[in-house]
Amino acid sequence: MTEPVQNGDQRSPVLQVVSLHAGYDKLIVLSGVDLELSRGEWLALLGPNASGKTTLLHCIAGMLVPSAGSISICGRSLRQDALGAKGQLGFGCAPERLPGLLTGRQCLEVYAAAKGLGTPDAGVLELAEAFAFTAMLDRFVGSYSLGTRQKLAVLLALLGEPALVVLDEAFNGLDPASALVLKRHLRERVTAGRCGVLLATHALDVVERYSDRAVLLLEGRIARQWGREQLAALRAMPGEGLEAALAAASAPSQSQ
Amino acid sequence: MEVPQASSLPTGIPRRLARRPYVAAALLQWRNTYQLRRARVLTVAALALTLLVGLLAAPPTGPMLEWLAGNPVITFALSAGLFGLSAVRRQARIQADAVSSWLSALPATSSSLLRLASRTAAQFLAAAVFVGLAAAVGRMTAPAASQLVLIAAIGAVAGTLGGLRFIGRSATGSPGWHYAGVRRARRNWASAPSLAPLSYWPLAKGRFFGRPKMTSRVVLLVLLSIPAGLHDVPGQVAIAVAAGCMTLVTLLALSAAAVATAGQAARWLAPTPIRSWTFVSAFVWRVALKQAAVLTVVILLACAVGYSQVLRTGVKAAVAFLAASCFTAAAACLWAAHQTGLGAARRGFERRKT
Repeated sequence: MTEPVQNGDQRSPVLQVVSLHAGYDKLIVLSGVDLELSRGEWLALLGPNASGKTTLLHCIAGMLVPSAGSISICGRSLRQDALGAKGQLGFGCAPERLPGLLTGRQCLEVYAAAKGLGTPDAGVLELAEAFAFTAMLDRFVGSYSLGTRQKLAVLLALLGEPALVVLDEAFNGLDPASALVLKRHLRERVTAGRCGVLLATHALDVVERYSDRAVLLLEGRIARQWGREQLAALRAMPGEGLEAALAAASAPSQSQ
Repeated sequence: MEVPQASSLPTGIPRRLARRPYVAAALLQWRNTYQLRRARVLTVAALALTLLVGLLAAPPTGPMLEWLAGNPVITFALSAGLFGLSAVRRQARIQADAVSSWLSALPATSSSLLRLASRTAAQFLAAAVFVGLAAAVGRMTAPAASQLVLIAAIGAVAGTLGGLRFIGRSATGSPGWHYAGVRRARRNWASAPSLAPLSYWPLAKGRFFGRPKMTSRVVLLVLLSIPAGLHDVPGQVAIAVAAGCMTLVTLLALSAAAVATAGQAARWLAPTPIRSWTFVSAFVWRVALKQAAVLTVVILLACAVGYSQVLRTGVKAAVAFLAASCFTAAAACLWAAHQTGLGAARRGFERRKT
């Protein structure tokens, strides 16, 4: 039984990844990744395709067992206290993994029950309303479009006030209005210190406008980090800003 | 803002299952499947019932069950083998689920033991009910039926426990792509593209289905079920059985792979103007070629060691198997093409043209 999520200290780390190594059989995907994320912080995870972003997120979600290193969520080790750590986690699963033969409402119910909630929390249902998702709640997931599945995956991730929200390409397939709603909602949660957000994305506008920090993952290692001030400077820069900085940082790796 | 109030878990699902999301989701899916496809579910149930009645009415059923009850070692070996194999398959599926499921990031146990036990119990219950019905309608005596159920139960427990120990715990849940060989690109692939690479898809899947881990399990279970020593089974026969079994697994894996991947391939190619029969031939030919090659080698080897009669019966059996395999794969491809509308675009285009 996991403890209910509490609104802890604004700067307390919700995620600590130390010297993480992971892969699939002989294929090494992550080698020595160190990462820390605090409550009230939005961290964007950048990187070219196949750089290890999703593998890192799967390790954090406990879906993939790392070969070395440690992961703690709100101070609880994912290896030693998996249920306790996962109790503080909201993970947006891949939309194609959602069960086609359940309705959106049933998915929410199963998730809410598993997280020990009586009913899905009101904030999430309000977000569903803002997404114009309410009408889809009683339809089968199998009939959803990619964007609608994505909305459901995000709603499931946000259920139960998780201290750490982990999303992988959460804006893929979302219409502009829904994407804006989600960006603002996540920003509100982060600013209020309700959670820390780790978002793997290629949408640089989200990184520039909404993130507090960004890290670049290249060939399984953290190659570069941008802090709040550096992101603000890039935002103020005329022209391509982060896009150019990212291309420059990735260039040596890409040319290899 | 007025928001819809989600109801609690639907009635029919015990409240204590709420903390077991895998089980709750499975029950909900079963209920939804029944509500959504009631006619199909009832048809399948009716077919199963017909099959059951047919089996009970068949003359050899009674003597066969009596024989099994009278040969406890064979019954035990068969039961242990079947339940062991089922346990291995179920455990592998549950482990894969833990890696890729939409529920895997939840703070809840995967209920793997409960899921495994409930399915194994259902499987055993079905077998026990069949034996009970056979005794009830007088196909076998009641003491023989209870003895058969008891031995099968012991075999089922032993097989399930053995199966659970047999499978290694996969740490990574790695996908099966490493079974597909990396092939050299054709030199003129860019200037003269062809459908040839399509034929590697079922081949790669076949290699995955017939991977050493899977083949060795099947061979081991088959060898365990040979009552060696009891009826003076010579060693070379056991080796021949193992080799034949491995060959059969390879051949069946290829056929199964062609059927399993036909739907995916048809869905992928549905937006293209490819013809159904072009798709079928491009997809199936390499599987048929590989099966033919394997069968040829087996027949030649059998002839080389002096079984000349193998040539007559073996060639006939090989041709029959190849024909059946090609027919099955082609039917699966055509069905997939029909379902996905593959080839329909061209047909429409030609109709408009005429």
